[in-house]
Amino acid sequence: MLRASAKINETDIDIQGVGGDVSSASQGIEFGSQLMRFAESVANRDSQALGASRQALLDVAGPLVLVDAAGVAANFQRMVRIADSMGIPYDNPDSSLGQQVRDELNLTAFASARHTLKP
Amino acid sequence: MTYFDYSNAAYPIRGDIADAYRAYWRKLAAPGSWWNGAQRIAIAQESRNALACTFCAQRKVSLSPYGLKGEHDHSNGLPEVAVDTVHRIITDQSRITQSYVNDNAALGMSVEAYVELVGVVVAVFSIDEFHRSLGMPVELLPQPEPGEPSGYRPAVLSDDTGFVPMIPADGAVGNESDLWSPDFCANVLRALTLVPDAMREWRDLADVQYLSFTGMQNFFQDEARSINRMQMELVAGRVSSVNECFY
Repeated sequence: MLRASAKINETDIDIQGVGGDVSSASQGIEFGSQLMRFAESVANRDSQALGASRQALLDVAGPLVLVDAAGVAANFQRMVRIADSMGIPYDNPDSSLGQQVRDELNLTAFASARHTLKP
Repeated sequence: MTYFDYSNAAYPIRGDIADAYRAYWRKLAAPGSWWNGAQRIAIAQESRNALACTFCAQRKVSLSPYGLKGEHDHSNGLPEVAVDTVHRIITDQSRITQSYVNDNAALGMSVEAYVELVGVVVAVFSIDEFHRSLGMPVELLPQPEPGEPSGYRPAVLSDDTGFVPMIPADGAVGNESDLWSPDFCANVLRALTLVPDAMREWRDLADVQYLSFTGMQNFFQDEARSINRMQMELVAGRVSSVNECFY
């Protein structure tokens, strides 16, 4: 969805930001590195990193951005567990955009790829 | 008691978020389709216990997620199979398999009960995660309401996707006609539809935490949000990547 939204917005982004690369996360996305680090520390459940990333995001972007970012992070902490608990496959596994992102981020290494890429 | 009172919070939390969380707390306390109110609260409590469970920590780093034997750190009120399922969804969800779901059914937790349990776990977890991400304590769980589960099961189901039956993309009709519009349905929307209320509950939370189904069609900037769509998707993508979610 990041690649799709960037395309529609005619913005050059670097998808490796999703994989945790700080400089990539900044490309084309305001507060990208801080948002990425915040999301990462929420998902990793690292309280020390979370405190630091929360403050860093607050400092550059303000409390409204922080709260909305927290909402999105919390939402996807839920959605990944729905997808994996139900074993659902990706909807369009043969789409070129999906294959490109899958290759660039090496998503096939994830255990849950088996729901989509069945032998 | 007023739940989710953010009037003294350190950050300006939108009123629609508090409203949605309060509404979910009311639903959580009431009987569901396959679990009663006390059991739903017990499931919610167990989702919190899982985060500090010693056995879960050991199993998470085990090569085989099903070979290690041990006992979870847990509260009372749920059968062992339900405790293990809750803990697994929180701490090791990417290694849940079809066999695990089938085995649970053989042990007495039906697929319908499994789906509702997943719905409760993920809803409570996401609300708790919102609090934790902002450095706030989790909310006190509500007191259960009396009553028995309805046993409701949708009339139209298919077995062609995932571990459990789901409403097919063209099956949001009759009692389920509110679930999605005919031109907008993805597998993740169908995932919990064996228990339609479980899907409705996460949809209502997603409306405020992320975007409504209508809002998802907007790839620019939702006027009610302080971050644009690319910023949202960067956060979403990083959370999903850390969780090793292929979907």
